[in-house]
This record gives sequence, C-alpha cells and structure tokens, in this order.
Amino acid sequence: MKKITSKILILASLILMSSCKKDLLDQDSPNTLTVDQFWKTENDAKRGINAAYAMFYQNGGWNRWIYFRLDLTSDEGWSNSPWTELGDWTRFQYINYNFWEGNVNTYRDTYKAIFRCNQVLTYVPEIPFADEKNRTQILAQAKFLRGFYYYYAAILWENFPIVTTLQKPTDLPARSTLADVWAQVEKDLKEASADLPEQWTGAELGRATKGAAQAMLGKALIQQHKWAEAKTAFDYLVTGAGKGYYDLVAFKDNFRADNENNKESVFEIQFSDANKTGEGDGPSSNMGSNRGQFFAPRSIGWSDGQARNWLVAEFKKEKTLANKIDERLRYTLFYPGLEADFGDKIYGKSWEWNADEAWFKKYSRDYMRNNEDYFSQVNNRVIRYADVLLMYAEVLNELGQTADAYQYVNRVRTRANMAALGTAYPGIGTNKDLFRERLKIERSLELCGESVRWADLKRWGDLDTKAAVDKVALRDPDFKNFVVGKHIRLPLPQNEVDNNTNLEQNPNY
Amino acid sequence: MKKKLHFSKALKLCFILSLLFVLCCQAAFAQSNITGTVSDKSGPLIGVGVQVKGGSESTVTDGKGAYTISAPGTSRAVLVFTYIGYNTQEIQVNNRSVVNVTMVESASDLSEVVVVGYGTQRKKDLTGAISVVKPADLQKKQGTTVAESLQGLATGIRVRGGGQPGSEAQIQIRGLKNMGTIGGTNPLYVVDGLITTANRDFNPADIESIQILKDASAAAIYGSRAGNGVIIITTKKGSEGPMKIEFTGKTGIQTIPRYDLAETEEFSRINFMAYDNADLTRQKLDLNNNTDWQDVAFRTGNIQDYNLSFTGGSKDASYYVSGGYFGNKGTVISTDFDRVSFRVNTKGTRGIFTIGDNLAISNAKANEMSGNPIVDIFRMLPTIPVYDASHPGGYGYGDEAKARTFGTNPLAIANLEDRTNENLRIRGNLYAELQLLKSLKYRGSIGYETSRDHYKYLKKDGFWTLNQAYDPAILNENRGESSTVLAENTLTFNEKFGKHGVTVIGGQSYQKDKFGIIRGTKRNILQNLTTGHYYDVLNQGNEPQTSGERTRVDLISYFGRLEYNYADKYLLNAIVRYDGSSRLSKNEKFDSFPSVSAAWRVSEEGFFESSWINDLKIRASYGTLGTGNIGPYDYISFINTFPTVVFGPNQTVQPGGIQVQLANNDLRWEKLQQQNYGFDAAFLNNKLSVTAEYFIAKTEDVLLQYPIPLSTGNDGGNPYVNGATLGNRGFEFTATYAENAADFKYNITANLTTLNNKVQDLGYGKNKTFVGNTVTEAGNPIGMWYVLQTDGLFQNLDEVNSYKNSKGQVIQSGAKPGDIRFRDNNDDGQISNDDKVIVGSPWADYELGLNFGASYKGFEFNMDWFGSFGAKVFNGPRSVMDNFSDNSNYRKGVQPWTTENPNTDIPRAFYGSTINARGDTDRWLENGSFARMKYIGISYNIPSSALKRIGFSTTRLTLSGQNLITITKYTGLDPEFNNASIFEKGFDFGAFPNLRTVSLGLNFGF
Repeated sequence: MKKITSKILILASLILMSSCKKDLLDQDSPNTLTVDQFWKTENDAKRGINAAYAMFYQNGGWNRWIYFRLDLTSDEGWSNSPWTELGDWTRFQYINYNFWEGNVNTYRDTYKAIFRCNQVLTYVPEIPFADEKNRTQILAQAKFLRGFYYYYAAILWENFPIVTTLQKPTDLPARSTLADVWAQVEKDLKEASADLPEQWTGAELGRATKGAAQAMLGKALIQQHKWAEAKTAFDYLVTGAGKGYYDLVAFKDNFRADNENNKESVFEIQFSDANKTGEGDGPSSNMGSNRGQFFAPRSIGWSDGQARNWLVAEFKKEKTLANKIDERLRYTLFYPGLEADFGDKIYGKSWEWNADEAWFKKYSRDYMRNNEDYFSQVNNRVIRYADVLLMYAEVLNELGQTADAYQYVNRVRTRANMAALGTAYPGIGTNKDLFRERLKIERSLELCGESVRWADLKRWGDLDTKAAVDKVALRDPDFKNFVVGKHIRLPLPQNEVDNNTNLEQNPNY
Repeated sequence: MKKKLHFSKALKLCFILSLLFVLCCQAAFAQSNITGTVSDKSGPLIGVGVQVKGGSESTVTDGKGAYTISAPGTSRAVLVFTYIGYNTQEIQVNNRSVVNVTMVESASDLSEVVVVGYGTQRKKDLTGAISVVKPADLQKKQGTTVAESLQGLATGIRVRGGGQPGSEAQIQIRGLKNMGTIGGTNPLYVVDGLITTANRDFNPADIESIQILKDASAAAIYGSRAGNGVIIITTKKGSEGPMKIEFTGKTGIQTIPRYDLAETEEFSRINFMAYDNADLTRQKLDLNNNTDWQDVAFRTGNIQDYNLSFTGGSKDASYYVSGGYFGNKGTVISTDFDRVSFRVNTKGTRGIFTIGDNLAISNAKANEMSGNPIVDIFRMLPTIPVYDASHPGGYGYGDEAKARTFGTNPLAIANLEDRTNENLRIRGNLYAELQLLKSLKYRGSIGYETSRDHYKYLKKDGFWTLNQAYDPAILNENRGESSTVLAENTLTFNEKFGKHGVTVIGGQSYQKDKFGIIRGTKRNILQNLTTGHYYDVLNQGNEPQTSGERTRVDLISYFGRLEYNYADKYLLNAIVRYDGSSRLSKNEKFDSFPSVSAAWRVSEEGFFESSWINDLKIRASYGTLGTGNIGPYDYISFINTFPTVVFGPNQTVQPGGIQVQLANNDLRWEKLQQQNYGFDAAFLNNKLSVTAEYFIAKTEDVLLQYPIPLSTGNDGGNPYVNGATLGNRGFEFTATYAENAADFKYNITANLTTLNNKVQDLGYGKNKTFVGNTVTEAGNPIGMWYVLQTDGLFQNLDEVNSYKNSKGQVIQSGAKPGDIRFRDNNDDGQISNDDKVIVGSPWADYELGLNFGASYKGFEFNMDWFGSFGAKVFNGPRSVMDNFSDNSNYRKGVQPWTTENPNTDIPRAFYGSTINARGDTDRWLENGSFARMKYIGISYNIPSSALKRIGFSTTRLTLSGQNLITITKYTGLDPEFNNASIFEKGFDFGAFPNLRTVSLGLNFGF
C-alpha cells in the first residue's frame, strides 16, 4: 500500500517536473499583434494612417485643448474659468510650464501624432502593394498630417524639436529653430501635395486632398511672409487646377453636422458621436469633440472659454445690402442681443448672462439640442475656402497687387450680402496698409472662433512691439500681461527641457 | 543540562518530519507507553524534548504538541520536558498513561520556531534577518488587512494606507528598493506555502504565525520574487483532543479626523477680500446658508468582526474549521465593506504518508467611495446649500453668480453614483508528504487560488457639480477572473552526524497566473419613474460598449538550501534559487539568486562565561534577490488596434492600428544585493533580549517606468527599463524587556528603524529626473523636494523696490505689499524655474515602535506607539484651502495679510491669479513627523474557576482603541498617508486618513 502510494506520488511529481518546459515562458499576448507581426499588408498600412487621423480625437489637440491656445489666447477669446490656472494660460500668466492642460498635453499629443506619421512613413514603403498609387497616397497623407502638426507646433512653441524618425526611449532630439520647423512643414506639405488625390470620394471622403496640402502650405508660407511662394501654393485652389472643386456655401453650413464635407471645405476634421466614452487609445474611444462642452455658456457647458464682446460691435458696424445686421453674427456668437436681433434663443434659453459677455457659437449644437456633452459630432472645418480666399487676397496685397485682391474679399462679402469692399470702403483704394487693416477686420468677421486668429496676429506683427500689443489690449485686456519677445510663443514643457539636455527653454522663460 | 538541550535541538531540526518520526519510534519501542500533549498558554508546542530522567528514551513533541514515550517502571518514572525559552519541567508519572504538560515561558523568545520557506528553523538558529510578529499582537488590532495591523510591530517595515472600507494598506520592507508600479513595492506573501496576497479578502483571524523575511539570505529561497521581502503566514491547524470551540467577537465605532474649516461669516469675509484685492466684483454669496460639508460627507462608522473556530483531532488526523464575518460601515457616506470567510485546514497521516489541505473561501464586497469627499468637503463653499431645487437632480453645488466652485456635492455624487466591487476568492492547497527514509522526506503540493471579481457602476440621472456635462443614466459592469496554479515538489534531507547537523532541501516549483476580464457599458438605463429605481442590468439601455482582455504569466523555479550546524555554535545557510519568468525578454528569462549566511553562537563557546549575558549570537549574510514585477508582456512592442476614425458621408467607422507605447525589448531581472550584519542577545536571565541589524542593499537594473521625452511620442505609460541603481542602508534595533515572574507581569519592546536611500544612477544615462515638485538625482534619495523658496511677505512697496539682485535689478517689480517674496537663487533678477532648489527630503530619518504590555491576575493592558520623524511632506489640501486664487473653503482662523494685520505668514488674499498661490513653492511643505498611539487596550480574563461551572474554558473581554492620540505639527488630516507614486511619496494629495476606532471584544472558548 505504502509502496503504491509513494510510487504514484513520485510518478506524479516527475510528470509535474517534466511538464515545466522552458517554452512555457514564451507567452505571447492573446490580446493583440506585436509590431513585428504588423505592417505586412495594404490593410495594415491603411490602419496605420487611420490611426494618425485618429489623433484629432485626443485631448491635447482638436478634441479639446488646442482651442484654448488658438482661440482663447487670441484677442477673440478669453477665459473666465473658476479654474484659475486654466484661465491663467489664456492670459499669458504661465507659472508652471508643466501645466498639463495648458501646455504639456498639447505638446505630447503633437508628438504622438508625429510618431504615428513617422511609423507610416517608416514601415509602409516596405509593404508590398498591388496598386502603387495606394502606397503613395498613404505616404502622402502621413506627410500631410506631419506637416499639419508641425505647422501648429511652429505657431505655438516655434522652437519645436523636429523628429522625423522612430524614437527610442534613449533618443534626445536636438534643438530646432522656428526656421527649421518651417522648412520641415514646407517639405512635408510639398511632398504630400505631389501625391495626394485632388478629391476623395465615397467612404474615403474627408481624407487630406491635394488642395488641403496646398492650403496648409500656403498658410505656412504666409506666416513666413514668403508671399510669392504662398501665392503659388494658393493658386491651385483659387485660379489653378483645383479651383473647380471649391466654392462658398451657405454660411451656417460650415459649422453644423449637416452638409459636412461640402464644397467650401478644404480640410475638415471628421468628428462622430458613435462612441460616447472617454478619449484616448482604449477600445471604442470617443471620436467626438469636447469643444462645445468647454465653450458653451455657463450652466450649459463648463464655460472655460468665451468670446470677447468687441466682436459684436464690429459685426454691427456695417449693415448688409438689405440694411440688416450681418447674418454671420447670428451663426458666430451667442451675445446679449441674439434673440432680439435674429429671434434665436441660446440652447433654448433667453439671455441670462452679463450684458458685456459673449460665447462662441460656431460648432455648437444649440441648433439641435439644449445642452452639450463631450461627444460633439460637428466636423471642424479647419481650412475652409473663404479663409483661403481671404489669405489669397492678403498675399496679393502684400505682393502689391492690391487691386487684384479685391475680388476675393468680395466673394466672401457677397455671400454675406455685404456691399463690395470698394463700395463700402472707398477710401482704401490700392493703399496696401489700409487694405491690410481692413482685411484684418474682414477675417475676424468671417473666421472668428475658427482657430486662425492667433496665427493672424503673429503674422501681422501685432504682437511684435509694445505699441502694437497695446492696441490689441484695447480689445482684449489679457494682452496687458503680454511681454513682447516672450509670450509670442509658449514655453516648452519644463520637464522636457530638464530631461533632454539638448534643449533650451524658449527665450525669456 | 547541556546534553539534554543538545539532544532536543538535534531532534528539533527534524521537526518537519516529527509526526512520522514519532510513529516510527512508536513501532520500534512498542512497550508501555506514556502519551500526552505539551502546550503553552497559546496552544500546543512543537518539538519539545521529552526524556525519561536517568534513562535513555527520549522524543520530541509532534506538530500537534503530542508525544509518546516508552518508560520503564512507570510508577516512579520522571519525565523531563525541555524547550528553549521555556522553563524545564520534571513531572512524576505516577502510573498515569497520559501526562499533559503546560510549559511556562522563560522571558526570552529566542527559541520560537520560525517558518523560513519550504521548512522551519528555530529562531535561535537563524542566520538571516527575520522578524516574527506574534499573531496576538496583530489580531488584537482591528484592520481590514494584515499589512495594516503590522505597523509598529516589527522593525524595517513601513505601512501606510487603509482607512477606507475595503482599502488595502501598502507595506514596504526595508525601504524603497525598486520602483515597480505593478504589484507596487509590496512584499511577497506566502500563505501556507501558497504564493498569494494577503489582501482584504484574507481573514487575519486565521493566522497562527507570521514572519517577515527581510534580508537576502532569509528571503533567497523565494529568489526572484523576494526583492521586496517576504511575509510568511501560517494559518491555524488542529491538534489532538476533543473539539475546541472558540469565539471572538469585536464591535466598534470609527470616526474620521476632520478639518477645522471656516463658516459662512469668516469665509465670506475672506472671499470678499480676495475679490476686492483683485479688483473684481464680489460674488453674490448666499449668506443665509452655512453648510458644514464635513457633516454632510462624514459619519460615524462602525466595525463588526466575528469569528468562530472549531479545532480538534486524533492521533492521526486534525482539523481546523473557521468562519468569520467582518463588516465595516464607512466613515464616509455610502461606503461599506463586508467579508464572509470560511476556512478548513485538515491533515491526516497513515504510516509514512501524510496528506493535508488548507482551504479558504471568502467573499468580499465593497461599496466604494464616489468622487473624493476628502477634498470636496473643502472645495465646496459653506454658502452652498446641500439641496437646491433649482438644479436638475435637486442638489446644491457651485453657481456662476453665487458660488464659483467646481467642487462636488458629496451627498449628490454618493446618491447618484453607485460603485460596488465584489469578489469571491477560493484559496487553498493540497499537500502530501512521504517519509521516504528516516532522514529523507518528500513533499508535493498543489496550490490553487482563484478570484471572481464583479465591479458594477451605475450613474443615475442628475448633477453634482457646476456646469457638468449632461449624461444619461449609465451602467458599467465588469467581470474578472484570476487564477493561480502552483505546483511544488521538495525533498528534505535531515541528519545529524555527531556534532554536525545537516539539512538539505531541494525543490522545484511551477506557477501559472491567469487573468481575464470582460467589460460592458450601456447608456440610457431604464428607470421606473414611479419609484425612481433603475433597472441596473446590461439588458437595458443602448449604445453598448464592450471590451475585454486576458493575460498569462508563467514562472519556473528550482531551489535548494543547505543548513549546517556545528554543535549549535556555528551555523551556516546557503541558498540558491534559479528562476525563469515569462515576463522578461526572450534571452533574459532565467537567472539565479544565491545567498549565504552564517552565525556564531558565542554564548555556546566554552570560553564564554558571563553571568549576565544568557545568549549571544552574531550573524552575517550576503545574497542576491530578484524582482520581475512588471506586466506580463512589457518587453514586447505591440500594435494598438483601438484607434478608429470616421470618413465618408455616412461617417463610416474605419479601424486603425499603430504602436502607441514604446517598449524596451531587453528587459532582464532586477537584482538586489544585500548584506546584513546583526546580533541577537539575551541578558539578565533572558529578561532582556536585544536584536540589532545593519544592512547595506544595492538594487541594480531596477525595473522602472522611467520618464522618457515627450518627443518620442510615447503614450500609455513610460516603458519599463532596467534603468537605475538604488542603495539602501539601514539600522534596525529591537529590545524587549519582560518580567514574567511575579503576579504583575510586564514587557516593553522598543524598535527603531533608520533608513537611508540613495539613487546611485538613473535610467538612460540621465543625471536627474523631475516629477511634479520633486527631483530625483544620483547621490540623493528619490523624490527630493525641488521648489521655489519663499522668504516671507513684502510688507510695503519700499520692500518690493529694494528687493534687488546683485546687479541692482528689482526682482519682483510687479509685487504688492502682502505678496510672497521668493528667493532669486540664481541671481538673474527674476523668479523662474531656475530658482528652484532642493529643500528637503520626503523620507523619515527614523521610525520608532514602542509596545508595552502588562498583566495582573486576570487583567491585561497593551499599548502600541508608532512614530516617524524627519520627513518633509507636501500638504496638498492646504495648497487648495490657503491659496485664495480659486474658490474653496478656507481654514478656520487663517489670517491673510492685510495692512491692518501684517503679522502673518499668509499672503494677501487675491482671487483669480496663481501668483501668490503657486503650488511649486516651499510654502506647502511641512514637518511630517508624528508619533501616534496605534493601539491601546485593556482586557479582563474571567477566572477559569468561575467559567468551569458554565462549561467555558476561557473568556476574555477587551476594550481597545486605535489611533486615538496623534502628536504632530502637520496640519493635514493625517501625517501617516500614502501616495502611490514612487517619486512623490511625501505628497499628500488629500489621502484618506487613518481612522480612530474604539472597539469592544469578547473571546470565549469551550
């Protein structure tokens, strides 16, 4: 009996021991592919580029915080948030350079997007494609998106270290100057433009087109005052091969979930409310925008950002040809007289806020509901044709072709039923400076709240001298805090400067 | 005397085999036998030497304290019972066939038997650093987990956390030796040989013994998982005799420490001042309200802890059966925890074969806290009413005109969010032993543990904070399943060759851990509008979201230990463990972890003659331990297939796939090398015993998620890297003085721990890393405070204008009287990040434990103190309450600077600007030293003469209190807080405080 038992036990233990094969230690994840197993097929390439587009849905970028940098920091917007630090970052009171919501999140997500583009650009050339055109289009989209992100990095931080290769944890990229960043933007967008299709159709509608690349390139060039090159870039959309694809549509159709990807849309971020969850890289992450929730008036949304009230007066300075208030105001701002002027309530409410306040209405959903949430499906028309026309006019003016520039401003004015520019403001004539000053107002009336104003102010030199800034501060007292030569760019996140010995903090920080 | 001791020691070395050994003896000497059980006041004693006086027969007691000895001429025979640490007893047999003996302890505890992993050793034979905690000391306290109750009972351990119903405390043995975030820095728990966690679903009442293996030599037998130390727990076993029934019950009340906060009058006065100073229109504060949000969020909690156990057995079999219930009503509204647990430990023997099992089943359910009331009680303003019918849902919260705060109404969120977390755990092992030869034993063990977890979250319709986004009713339900299989085989050889005692253990172990989870979420959950009830099942609602994943980890190990003992004078232990883990990179999976330790028992030497030193042992050890506490697949670079994007007129969802998180593909074992030097001594007839240890530890290739540049584009957590070298040095000292001779007995134990951690180098060849307000750099401890230095307040404009750097530049030109003056440490004429300096350490210089016990007749008194001294900590809550830039309640009596009241260190109240309120200054750092009475208790044992009549053998009543007295200068709720971030250990973000508990306990047995 004892012997049998012991034999059984010894046998059992031997089986146990022998079952401990070392290959048990090679456990693969049952959850997903490894990097080595991916990047093999055309479909993998498409998934890769899709993931790069998906960066639009993350907090640091076009889902949320970038609007605080582009819209609120400019003289169009401000923050009256009870979250003091969040508000401080819209009024040039940058105390903690590591403030996540004001700086680091956007900086990090910019690099996340670049990392995704770099992966596509690194791996996709090695994948066999049945149709070579599909490859070049995917690579061109990656270059477009990389150029897009570097453009905003140049606008925000200026001296933003360029990364065009896959990084190891040990890599410490070198310092880059603003000129380096612009060079990278131009290179990427030119290469993208060469291979992007003029239009996408069907289920691919919304991807970057050649026109989008040309417009982004133009935006990058005018920031550098490279007016002649900028004209060439914009020519494609305005006078060149691409002009047939673009036109102006009903003004309000640029800011709603209806009539998306219309003829006015040059590049548009595709938002969806299909996943009502948090943002990030988890399963079924949110593909919507948080902008409405953060920018809606108090008691409707967080109201962490709102519009400056001077815009209302600016709209009301000039009546339409029908002697009415410029209807663009109706779709641009929530302001105290909205109901009186146009009969519109605000998310179903009459004005209950202070008489000197206003909020951004574009991309809001008050036309369809009485509240906001984190899942707005309204696409963001990052570049629309009206913007391109006004930029084109600006380029022509700077090139001394002011007379020629009028027609493009007038296309935009005509849509709003405004008199021709020459008729309304006969004193401008071909005076370049007067034309530019008027164009500044035209741009704010047309594009207010569309995240272009910060770049505009920088380009116009309105932030370069104390005198110029003082003028801006009349519209937006936050600019009283603005220090010339310092606040024109954000500080780099301090931890990044401290942890990467190759970097230097931006000047005066 | 020496000879007897010697003899019993030799046998005790074999005590694992004792049961079988005794049986063999029995067969060999089948004569007229005397049997009996040897016990002390707490139960049977194992390995007591039993000898017939003047004869040659001798034996030792077995695992149940039982012995059988053959004695000639039984009428006159005298049996001698010897056991180290106990008084020797000589007992005349007087024709009895059963002689039961109760041993009385001598003062020293050096002879306890200690479980050291795959075996036991006598404490006197130990060569490594092992703390033994008396289970009674642990069980007298009321804690949810074992770790929580260990605070102050042993040297070299640091325990923080707990407090919330069902929350688990963190324990750190001998300092921060690694930087793991998975599994944290918690030690390895071994319960009855099963590698597990003694988490909240483990019932501390079942503990029979607990030992903490602290140094490399002690822990090396657990090799790769012992880097954080090992806590070995043995649960209770049955013993021979009729069934004993024991009941313990405790019930008590708990209170939470509170802030002293401003009421409406004081709050509004300062709030108006802050707005006035900022030149802003005052809020229209609703001065009719005066809400005490602490009254809203907090309540008196209670605990109930009942345990019933049944033990008994025969010569060949024993059992321990217990059932327990633990209930905790939280001190925060809508929180509670309860646990039901059962345990069956049995063992049976036939011939050379022994089989046994340990099986525990428990179900734990926590109703978890929603939001963070610990912070919201001061983020909410006293002028906000609890209820406000004008808000959807009916609760009061911030208001743009009247009360601008994003604080959460704690009652609203408690009622509108339900979170429960429940798990059923089965934990057990089945083992068999074969005494193959007299000196050779085989043991095989299969352990299995599984937990079935169920998390449910229901968000009802309604709002709890200002401007909250609208969400409908949402239900989220997750079900997880984890399991561990552990198969182990060991062979133990134990033999004595003259004066040479040798024990050799060899073994093999295989462990497989699996985990899987599924999650489901739906929105617009159906509500019965008449009753308000929500049908909280995933059948209801729409917009479903599901997810799930699985993991698996395998570990293969081989190990061996040699114990050598020469004449009880020279002791040597050598251990090696060879471990392979699936968590590590392909070519780095296996590594070996050796250790060696030796001790010299000086007092056994012939030349050692001392009337006052009874025992002296010096010991030293050196060894290597490993840690591989990282995720299952951290060395692999994965594609994240979750990103999706929409395109096309119908917004068709298209899948994405990309690498999001970087991985280092060459992860290898983190290795801890540790030296330990110590001595154990007993003086004054063993009344005073002293243990002292000094250790030097160095951890190389520390596995940590070292911050990498944002420019990598990495997200999802920094990748693990073998990226730092840490050094720890420490001194541990314990002294116990016990006087047990008279009616009045008492004992005092003091323990002292000092610890000095130092970073020797950092990941990726970096010099320093910055996290939050801390810097970690080579040559310094981890996470030193790195902030701006304040230098008082500007009292007038002259002071502002005369505050210049060496070049004469005014440093803070924009400042106003009442603003903070910062030090321009780099003398560049402005205050910037470059002025930050290291201002202190978050680590304690030393920690002290003081335990005092006394008894007189039926009365017992116990008191435990714990103190930690020298840490500098960041008071996060105060940085909110005292900053005035944002609306939150203020501390009562706070004195912001005004021209009328300039004698204060609080700057002027200024709303809407962080200039005086910035968080990265030394203004929020405080002295974190404290001394706390962790436990005080008095108990009364009803005399047994009175009990016998009602059939009870023991009855004890205990009244006790925990955390009743805290002496500290820290102004936060609790200086004994926990922060999970390695780099920010001293940052109190508003951690849940330790609770004050008063409880009444009743024990009886029959």
